[in-house]
Amino acid sequence: MSLPLEERARVATMHDIVRLTEQEQDYPAANAGLLSPLPLLPSRPLREGEQYRFHFNMTKCIGCRSCEIACNEQNGNPASIQWRRVGEIEGGTYPDTHRHYLSMGCNHCLDAECLKGCPVAAYTKDPVTGIVLHSAQACIGCQYCVWNCPYSVPQFNAERGVVGKCDMCHGRLTDGLEPACVNACPEAAIEIEIVNKTAWRIDYAAAESPGMPAAGHTISTTRITLPTAASARLERVDTGHIRPEHAHLSLVYMTTMIQAATGALLAALVAHRTSPLLCLLLFVVAAIGLNISVLHLGRPAYAWRALKMWRRSWLSREVLCFGLFFVALSLFTTANCWAGLNSQAKHVLSLPALALPAATLQPIGWLAAVLGIAGTLASAFIYLVPARPSWNMVHTPLDFLLSAALLGTALLPCLDWLARHVAALRMPATQPAPALPVWPTVVAAALVLTNQFVRLMRLRWSAQFEHRATVSLLGTHALRPALLASLMSATAAGVFALCGAFGFAVVMAFASVLLSRYLFFVSVVPLNMALTFTGGGKH
Amino acid sequence: MLWQRLRRTLGLDTLDDEYRFADDPRVGHIAASRVAEKWVKTTCGYCSVGCGMLVGLREGKAVTVRGNPDHPVNRGKLCPKGLSEHHILDAPGRATQPLLRKHGKLEPVSWDEALQAMLGAFQRIQQKYGAEALGVISTGQLVTEEFYTLGKLVQLGLRTRNFDGNTTLCMASAVSGYKLSFGSDGPPGSYSDMETADVILLIGANIADNHPILCQRLERNRMRNANCTVIAVDPRVTKTAMLADVHLPVKPRSDIALLNGIAHILIRDGLIDHDYIQQHTRHFDEFAAYVAGFTPQHVAQVTGLSEEQITRTAHLYGKAKAAFIGWTMGVNHSTQGAVTVTAINNLALITGNLGRAGAAPFSITGQCNAMGTREAGFTSALPGYRKFDDAEHRRQLAALWQIDEARIPTARGLAYPDIIEGAVTGSIKALWFIATNPVVSFPNYYVLEHALRNVEFLVVQDGFHPTPTSDFAHLVLPAAIWGEKEGTYTNSERRISKANVLVPPPGEARTDFDIFLAIAEKLGLREELFPGWTSTHDAYAEWQRVSAGRMCDYSGISWRQIEEEGGVQWGGERLYADGHFATADGRATLHCVPCLPFQEQPDHEYELVLNTGRTVEHWHTRTKTAAVPMLNNMVPTAWLEMNPVDAQRLQLRPHDRINVISRRSSVRNLELRITEIVAPGQVFMPFHFAETNSNRVTLGAFDPISREPNFKQCAVRVEKYVRTLH
Repeated sequence: MSLPLEERARVATMHDIVRLTEQEQDYPAANAGLLSPLPLLPSRPLREGEQYRFHFNMTKCIGCRSCEIACNEQNGNPASIQWRRVGEIEGGTYPDTHRHYLSMGCNHCLDAECLKGCPVAAYTKDPVTGIVLHSAQACIGCQYCVWNCPYSVPQFNAERGVVGKCDMCHGRLTDGLEPACVNACPEAAIEIEIVNKTAWRIDYAAAESPGMPAAGHTISTTRITLPTAASARLERVDTGHIRPEHAHLSLVYMTTMIQAATGALLAALVAHRTSPLLCLLLFVVAAIGLNISVLHLGRPAYAWRALKMWRRSWLSREVLCFGLFFVALSLFTTANCWAGLNSQAKHVLSLPALALPAATLQPIGWLAAVLGIAGTLASAFIYLVPARPSWNMVHTPLDFLLSAALLGTALLPCLDWLARHVAALRMPATQPAPALPVWPTVVAAALVLTNQFVRLMRLRWSAQFEHRATVSLLGTHALRPALLASLMSATAAGVFALCGAFGFAVVMAFASVLLSRYLFFVSVVPLNMALTFTGGGKH
Repeated sequence: MLWQRLRRTLGLDTLDDEYRFADDPRVGHIAASRVAEKWVKTTCGYCSVGCGMLVGLREGKAVTVRGNPDHPVNRGKLCPKGLSEHHILDAPGRATQPLLRKHGKLEPVSWDEALQAMLGAFQRIQQKYGAEALGVISTGQLVTEEFYTLGKLVQLGLRTRNFDGNTTLCMASAVSGYKLSFGSDGPPGSYSDMETADVILLIGANIADNHPILCQRLERNRMRNANCTVIAVDPRVTKTAMLADVHLPVKPRSDIALLNGIAHILIRDGLIDHDYIQQHTRHFDEFAAYVAGFTPQHVAQVTGLSEEQITRTAHLYGKAKAAFIGWTMGVNHSTQGAVTVTAINNLALITGNLGRAGAAPFSITGQCNAMGTREAGFTSALPGYRKFDDAEHRRQLAALWQIDEARIPTARGLAYPDIIEGAVTGSIKALWFIATNPVVSFPNYYVLEHALRNVEFLVVQDGFHPTPTSDFAHLVLPAAIWGEKEGTYTNSERRISKANVLVPPPGEARTDFDIFLAIAEKLGLREELFPGWTSTHDAYAEWQRVSAGRMCDYSGISWRQIEEEGGVQWGGERLYADGHFATADGRATLHCVPCLPFQEQPDHEYELVLNTGRTVEHWHTRTKTAAVPMLNNMVPTAWLEMNPVDAQRLQLRPHDRINVISRRSSVRNLELRITEIVAPGQVFMPFHFAETNSNRVTLGAFDPISREPNFKQCAVRVEKYVRTLH
């Protein structure tokens, strides 16, 4: 990749379809009609500390959208996926109206968030060209990069089960050809140029534009030439087209179940209610939750790969913590059951004392609980991404922990009741255990509600568009009933618990957490570039 | 199958093969699905810019399109419609077999039965009501060879003069205007003039949306000449207005006042070419006297511009070494369309901005081959820009065709809107539509629907079925579309380019040419009208003889030459270089054009002026582009643009669902776009969408000369849409 592209273009045997890069003096006849005598590719090789980038000239773009079609045709993508997108911004007062267009692919950022979050290292920043490359082979379709990118550049291809994104037509560049969008633009508004990474890191002001998220977060390398005459404030025209995001139902169930299992385990340890049967029930809840989680992946068969980047990715850490949680819980449950079996079997025949001593049993249980909490926190940290502002708040980890408390304290008495009744079938003589206290559930419900309420208020009165848009979404006909139902069921859970009706309380607690988690996913409004009036809000 | 699905669900299979990349020997690294085995040169079948393209074929399918870098029109570039044009060849919704309405239902029939039924019905109706009870509406979508064939078939075979095209909805005003000024149709300039002119005045022409590939000419001009000024005259802040150096936001239909006002200033300030006027024009004195009334003060009042803007524009135009005026539908779609064209021509004539590099009045046409039908068609004129009322012209044709001169009509029949009116009043009893979709494209829908329901037999010949129009048909004839037939298109700058066969038509669909020959065969006239013809090339050969010696002379231009040179312009780069016009005395005529207010002015009940237009993503009535998912996803629905001032007054908010209501009917459930793109008091909506058809509200008013509809201004009101149960 270090060869001067223009030189390669001239020696290449490509047909003249793509000879945009050739120089006039060599091909006078052919070039007589070409729009730009300047090559749209750099004419020298990259030096140390440099990379390629896009330059978009807003003053030349006429909003024809040829680049979008050319990109899809180049990459064989279906119509629902657009690696290059055109947006519209407008401002001023008639007749001094200003309308301009943005045409953006990937910004090949210096601090690419997609890359940092990826649990399987499917992303690499090409050491020579600086292009942020994505490997469909390595990708497991977790879509964490989709959440991380402030420009909504990576797009999940449901048909394939993997993400894809603009690679600056790396393959064409290697051949000495300009990317498809550059080649297609009738106005020569897009070109590839060289940027010095150190200099750009110090001053990246030329990456900023109306209609684009602030460049500083990931240090976008795309240089944008803005119209000088545009005194008017240019604004997005797509802001009224905010649509609900994907619900990720498997994640709704997974986070709810795991948080319930974690909370209940912790409560059980505190209340010394770790009967073998109860442990077994907890184990079942956790197992269901964990198994559902892989369904979120585009490629469930490769879920194990997610462990790979635990040093860097919160998603890897979540998988690691919950994996260890599950191992510890299994161990705890098995040992508990074995001990229980043993104590009963002693009466009939004498089994070898294989069971772990009680002294080691309790620490394993506590270890599982700590891992569960750590996993829940890692889980929450996945959502603390600047590109998704309404997730990126302290309320997210708080909600996850409080949900664990609410679900756990409501669930434990029920599981305990169930375990005792099953045990009572065989050994009716056992004396009734003292009732579990109701106050933890009531307090948890109150805290969950407070946290939700404060979050909503903060979003509602926020200065950031995406925050307020989340509240607008929650206020739509489709989502408002779910929001009300979620808040009411949390209240009901507390009230039922207060009455000691834990059976009802647990149903309400689950209803509340499932609904609020669903809303959490659908109501997030990601950062994105400005799109067009009719194409707003979707990729 | 199950195993495959399981592998997909588990993620063991990520369709790597489908999404693989490969090296195409011609275009390099590209998705393997787009790698071609063979490339075919052709011309784009959408608009009249006439871009040359290379279509890649693999295993008998068109898999990719590239702009032809050697083509002088587009130099390798294409707009989004062109770049995805191969997708229409395997788009769903194609008409694949003839369908005849039996007991109220369209049922598949053989071609033989279909044509028998068609001609049986036509003969029965023509015997009963007279030959002219048949109306035929053609299109700008066929190849020239097909127009030529169709014209002979209709006028000489079916013996009806009531034959017109959808081009009357599009460029008829330009044709009439050229004839009034210069004595003949024929756009005088070339695209290259847009690269060399010092001043480019675009009137009612949103080329950035409608002819985007022409915009590179302006960019090239700017790179060459720093003083080049692009002026866009448009009531709306279009994409083109944004790329212009100067935008003149005129009030609707005040363009004539502006043009006359410019003429006034040019004459007043001595910025006219006296020699040119004296040698090559007539009626200058009357003209000068007439425009004397168009003082800057008066014009400022009518147009809403400042006197300074008008004077500056006049001075820019008058002082330019070469000035170019381009126009499209903003001028043509008007009850004063034809005369507005003459007002444009007046400016060129009094300044001598004609027949020189960069200097031309220039209509930028709509459809890919609207020009071909103007030249070779047999609708508003005889083939070869000949006149119905010229005995010598009729004699020439009779001799060429070896027929009795009396068979050639001496006057044109009804124009498109008059044919529709005839169907309503009962003088037209049978209609044959070819490659057009009037249900979406014709103004004042309810009159059209009445006409369609009124006729005894309606034939719709189209590449797609169902279309909103074919739903009304008694007979649907499935036709080949672009890429399935061979012939020539002539673009706006008179450049003849070749369209070639990429794939065969689907099912039983036939090329329009074959359908016309089969009809002639059934009429027993094939040998007389089309002696020995088997291919469109035979039609071309005859058309070459017919056009020989005429202004649009194709006789020296062979198909091979067209292929090799990337198209050839008849008449050379520009017409009238010698200042000799196609009139009796060789002089062009200056016309005195009054600026009349548009017909349906807003009032207290219908207080907004509705303007209609296009978007870059769609083509006409979306029959094709809605079938290309990429294009349709970009703009899936229509909207209404309204200024915030009006929105506030009407208490409407962005994205509200609204109804647009006129005296005729309403468009319901449109999305509202509140924007400063449109002026207060005006609203705009794109017309492509059958679902929200702007022609339910547009006005059925037509230019008295060109018969072109006034699509651009009508009075409407806007109300909030309320969902009802039914």
